[in-house]
This record gives sequence, structure tokens and C-alpha cells, in this order.
Amino acid sequence: MQISGRKIDDFKFDRKGITPPLPILLRLVPLLFYCSIAVTIILSVIYLIEYRLSVQKRDSHTAQAESLAAETQEALKHCTGLESQIKIATDIESWVSGSRPLQPLIVEIARSMGPRATIVDLRLDRDPNAPAQLKLAIKLGTDSTKQLDFTLEKIAGQKYRAFSPQQTLGRNELDYIATLVWQDPSARSVQPSPPNEQ
Amino acid sequence: MNSKHLACGIVALFIVLLVQATMWVQKASAAMQKEAANAQSSEKTASEALGQGRVQLADLRRQSANLITFLKTWQPYFQTLDNPQSAEINFTMKVKESNLVNLSQRFEPVDVKGNASVPKAMRAILIFEDDYVRLLNWLGQIEASMPTVRVSSTHFTKGTRANDLRMEVAIDQPLIKK
Repeated sequence: MQISGRKIDDFKFDRKGITPPLPILLRLVPLLFYCSIAVTIILSVIYLIEYRLSVQKRDSHTAQAESLAAETQEALKHCTGLESQIKIATDIESWVSGSRPLQPLIVEIARSMGPRATIVDLRLDRDPNAPAQLKLAIKLGTDSTKQLDFTLEKIAGQKYRAFSPQQTLGRNELDYIATLVWQDPSARSVQPSPPNEQ
Repeated sequence: MNSKHLACGIVALFIVLLVQATMWVQKASAAMQKEAANAQSSEKTASEALGQGRVQLADLRRQSANLITFLKTWQPYFQTLDNPQSAEINFTMKVKESNLVNLSQRFEPVDVKGNASVPKAMRAILIFEDDYVRLLNWLGQIEASMPTVRVSSTHFTKGTRANDLRMEVAIDQPLIKK
């Protein structure tokens, strides 16, 4: 059996084309690779756990914030409704305070007349801009101011106070004009007596 | 550069990729932590806003308690008659029931100044001539039985008979805004 000269040559001499070994520093690269795989896995697991916990925390806080915001909206809605009711109540109070019954006042004025006095003309008008104020114009058939004083006392007894009075005494007639304002320090303006049943 | 250097370079590239991947995961985690912190901050803000809203509501309730009680007492009476037709019919019925000598009656809608909730009223302008006791009793009865009405004007003069009075009265029935 013949062996080619080239193969014999391979056994006798060092192989040609074998690369020289890597320097020491580069030999650490594979070791670094294995270490980096281990560190990557460990750190990634830690970060993923943190991520999951953060997601849970975020969702929980977001849900809570939404719930609180909804409650805030509800509270503000109640506030708006209440403000609207307060406005209506104030308007109604304004109407009611300007609608105090006049009949008791008229009856008191009529009853205050003495035997020698008569009411010739009596007018009570509410001021359209301030309905709680009454414009009283009365013409008495009397020649004395005593009757007027007595009538004014009766009016004061009904808790009306006269402002800007003007009186003219003629022959057997006395004209009196004043603005009456209802005043009762003991009354609370927001709570007038409730109405009777209709 | 031989194949060993090439292999070393590829492994080094893998190391860089692993480091990049780890950094990416870390970055995502940090971003999520920031989002969680923002959500916590939002929750705190919402909680403070709710606290303020509740305090405001409680204050408003406390301050308006009397007004709301007042409103609950009076509102039903204002809602009984809320249109001009029913107000007019009601006035007509009251006049008929009174059996007083009614010289004239007319109705007109009037605007109420400075009152947004009661913007209009139906005004009845009535003229009677009858016994003064009956007239005054009727007026008192109207003011008691229709507590929301406003007698905006009255004018009394002597009647034709001794005990008679001529009474001209303007009564406003409020028409509450629906």
C-alpha cells in the first residue's frame, strides 16, 4: 500500500494554518458571556417583578383616583343643586316677605276710628321695586290730629314703621301720606310663619 | 484577524445585546414605577379635592339649612298654581264663592322685577261694593287661604249705602318658573 508523500509530510511536521491562541484578555470573553447571561436573567427577573408590582400599584391608584374624582363630581353636583335651591328659596322668601297680609293692618286702621272720625279714602300700594314697603295714603274725616296719632299707634302695633310722613290738615279733612315698612326685630327673615292649608 | 477573533467579537456582541436587554427591562420597570408614583400623586390630589368638595358641601348645607326648610315649606304652595289659566280660574271661583257685589274683574299678566324664580304673576284687579265687614273678612280669608298671593294695591272709598265700602284691590298670584 502506498501512502502519498503529502500525508506523510503532515505527520512529520506541524500543521500549517493553525491560528495562534487568543491573548489572555480576550480569553475572558466567553467567561464574561456566561456571567452576563446569569446576571441578565437575575436582573431581568427582579425588574420584571418590580414592573408587575408597579403595574398593580398604578392600576390600584388609578382606580382609587377615578373613584374619588367621581365622588368629588357628585359632591360638586350636590353643591350646584343646593345653590340652585338656595336661589329659589331666596326668591321665594323675597316674594313672601313682600306679600305680608294687609287685611290685619286695614282692620286695625278701621278700628282705630273714633266716634267723630271717618275714613274718607284709604289707599295702600306696594312699591313695585320694594314690595315689602307700603305706600299709605289716608284721608280722614276729622278736624283733629289726635285721631291720626291714635291711628298711627295702631299701625305701629302691627309692627309697621312710618317713614317720610306728610300730613295736610284741611277743613274737616286730614290727609296723611307715608311709607310703611314692616319691622319686627324678633322675627327671622328666612323663617316666616308657614302658610295655612289651602 | 482570524476566526477566533471573529468568534470573540460575536460573543462580545451577544454580551452587549444581553446588557441592552437588561437595560431595556430596567427602563420599562422604572417607567412603570414613575407611572405608579404619578397615579399615587393623582390619587392624593383627587382625595384633597374630594375633601374640599365635602367641606364646601357641608358648609353650604349648614348655612342654607333654614332656607331649605323654608323652601320645603313654601314651594308646594307655589307649585299649586303655576299657569295663568288656572290662576285666573281660581280667582274667578273665589269671587263667585264670595257672594259679594262684584262691579268688575279683570286679569292681566305682570312681570315681577328682580325675581328669577317667580318671573311672572297673574294680577286680578277686582272692584267690589258691599258691606265693609264682609269685604274685609273676604280679603282676610283670601290672604289666609291663598298664602302665596300678594295684595299689591287696595283702595277703599265710601259706598253708596251706609255700611258699604267700595274696595278696589289688585291681587297677584305668583307663577313660579318651571
